[in-house]
Amino acid sequence: MNDSTQNARPAPRNRLAEFGNHIYRSLFRYGRVPQDAEGQSYAVFNSLFLHIHPVKVSRHSLRFGYTLGLGVIATALFLVLTFTGIWLMFYYFPSASEAYNRMLDLRSAVDFGFVLRNVHKWGAELMVLVVILHMARVFFTGAYKPPREFNWLVGILLLLLTLGLSFTGYLLPWDQLAFWAITVGTSIAGYAPVLGPPLRRFLLGGDVVGQEALVRFYVLHVVILPGLLSIFLAVHFWRIRKDGGLSHPDDNDIPPKGGGR
Amino acid sequence: MNEVNTKHVYPEDPSKTYGLMELVKGTKPTVGLQPDDMVFTWPHLLVRELTLFVVVVAVLLVLAFLFNAPLEELANPNHPPNPAKAPWYFLGLQELVSYSAVIGGVMIPTLIVLGLALVPFVDRKRTGIGVWFAKERSLANGLFLTFLILMLVLIIVGMFFRGPNWGFVIPWESAQ
Amino acid sequence: MKKTNVRMQQPGMDRRTFLTALGLGGVGVSALIAAVGNLLYLKPAVDYGPPTVIRAGRPGEYKEGIKEVLEDQRVVIVRDKKGFAAISITCTHLGCTVGTSDAGFECPCHGSQYDNDGFVTGGPAPRPLDWYQVSIAPNGELEIDKSVKVPPGTFFKA
Ligand code: HEM
Ligand code: FES
Repeated sequence: MNDSTQNARPAPRNRLAEFGNHIYRSLFRYGRVPQDAEGQSYAVFNSLFLHIHPVKVSRHSLRFGYTLGLGVIATALFLVLTFTGIWLMFYYFPSASEAYNRMLDLRSAVDFGFVLRNVHKWGAELMVLVVILHMARVFFTGAYKPPREFNWLVGILLLLLTLGLSFTGYLLPWDQLAFWAITVGTSIAGYAPVLGPPLRRFLLGGDVVGQEALVRFYVLHVVILPGLLSIFLAVHFWRIRKDGGLSHPDDNDIPPKGGGR
Repeated sequence: MNEVNTKHVYPEDPSKTYGLMELVKGTKPTVGLQPDDMVFTWPHLLVRELTLFVVVVAVLLVLAFLFNAPLEELANPNHPPNPAKAPWYFLGLQELVSYSAVIGGVMIPTLIVLGLALVPFVDRKRTGIGVWFAKERSLANGLFLTFLILMLVLIIVGMFFRGPNWGFVIPWESAQ
Repeated sequence: MKKTNVRMQQPGMDRRTFLTALGLGGVGVSALIAAVGNLLYLKPAVDYGPPTVIRAGRPGEYKEGIKEVLEDQRVVIVRDKKGFAAISITCTHLGCTVGTSDAGFECPCHGSQYDNDGFVTGGPAPRPLDWYQVSIAPNGELEIDKSVKVPPGTFFKA
């Protein structure tokens, strides 16, 4: 080491900036806002969260008038529901004697409790609506045709899971609406031949809607069904990429091919 | 670059809008029939997604501050409310169930789900993809629209035209 | 050693195929057993619900022609000339609690109607209301066993 290199060392303030810059670069490798095609590509496929997207998408699939944004809205609703649902879990208690009191507390005592509950409730209703509309969009644009048959099936599963989530969530407040909707709903299940009566007992943990049923619905609502929905959502997105992005007029009249693509 | 080899392993398929390739500097990818049709995900798709997300959150917050989610009295196993109504998306089902539990509650829903699942395997012709209400598909679209309207009618009947003991009521006449 | 070789030459079953089949079979069978075990675990084993045998007071407390609703038990005690009966007030359609009416019983949920003996007179209910077994407990009270159903019209003479 000689004097000249010593003098070239940055002043303390700059060293701090450099240190910060180092950390920043380790998090976001390719600069702040990507400026060129390379940066834009890297920004997408170097990120765990963004790389469910391809680097490029067709203009057609971006037209709002084509998708009406319904799938993305449904995903957004699911994320919001997951967030508010987990937050509600801090106060909610799946007990037949306590649940309803907790709902009252959320409404009046807990700061912003009513906001979380209302967002969760309205979000859940909207999600059912949006998922159905999304299915209608897919149908009316012929987007279930080869090679997207499988993704249509995954979608139906997602619809059933969404309905299951709302049905199980419906019991949790333990109010009159909840109790009788679930009494009637599980009785309907009991009418199914052979599997009906045991399925009903499995759901209720007994023969009537009571404490056991509340615990079972709670576990289904906060763990099992959201978990399954997340998994199949991932499959749904993965299929979109494997099927060559969203449906496109160019997909018409392509001779069917055997085997997966 | 080893273009020849790449082609052998990954034959060109005009229906794919993506492909396995090297990262190359340039503004156009080499897949797809019309390269000009493709735009970068960053920013074009991402801003749209983010916008929708923000709109969804904003709408939900407005709804949440304006309208309280319903909460009725504590559950009471001895007194069903009269009429006891399911959430709106199950009202069509409840309407069917009021005629027959087995047909309306089990058979019809099972048939609907099976029917929906079979759609892409029955209607396999690759025509009319990628546009709304394509002419070639008017039969399929007509059938599906009829199905949706039927569901909607059932839901509306269950929502507004059913009163105590699930009896038929005219909403604007029983308003007192 | 030689024996093994002979066996290995038999068509369709060399050692590798055999062991693979054995291994896969083992995994398959274990998975099946595990699945059954998990299902059994979820099957409600203990009944945490309300007790099924209830006492309903002395027979003398009921006047003839009375329909006494025991709400918490979801049962109505009927006494007429023929004796006592305990009729369920759980609607056989989809499980709502029926209310009493002049003609018998009426369900608020989908409008099923029953006569005084619980037979369906209207609405979607598929079968009459359940009748439970009535007897006299050792202490002289009426005892109703909700786990034992009797044919409608079976009155108990006290
Ligand atoms: C991981 C995701 C979720 C979690 C952790 C969660 C958690 C909860 C909790 C703790 C409650 C009880 C508090 C309350 O009733 O407000 C609840 C209620 C409810 N949830 Fe969820 N939830 C999730 C997703 C969903 C989804 C996707 C839907 C429907 C599409 C849904 C529909 C409902 C409904 C309808 C209620 C009743 C709300 C009310 O009446 O106030 N939930 N949820
Ligand atoms: S539950 Fe009584 S009529 Fe449906």
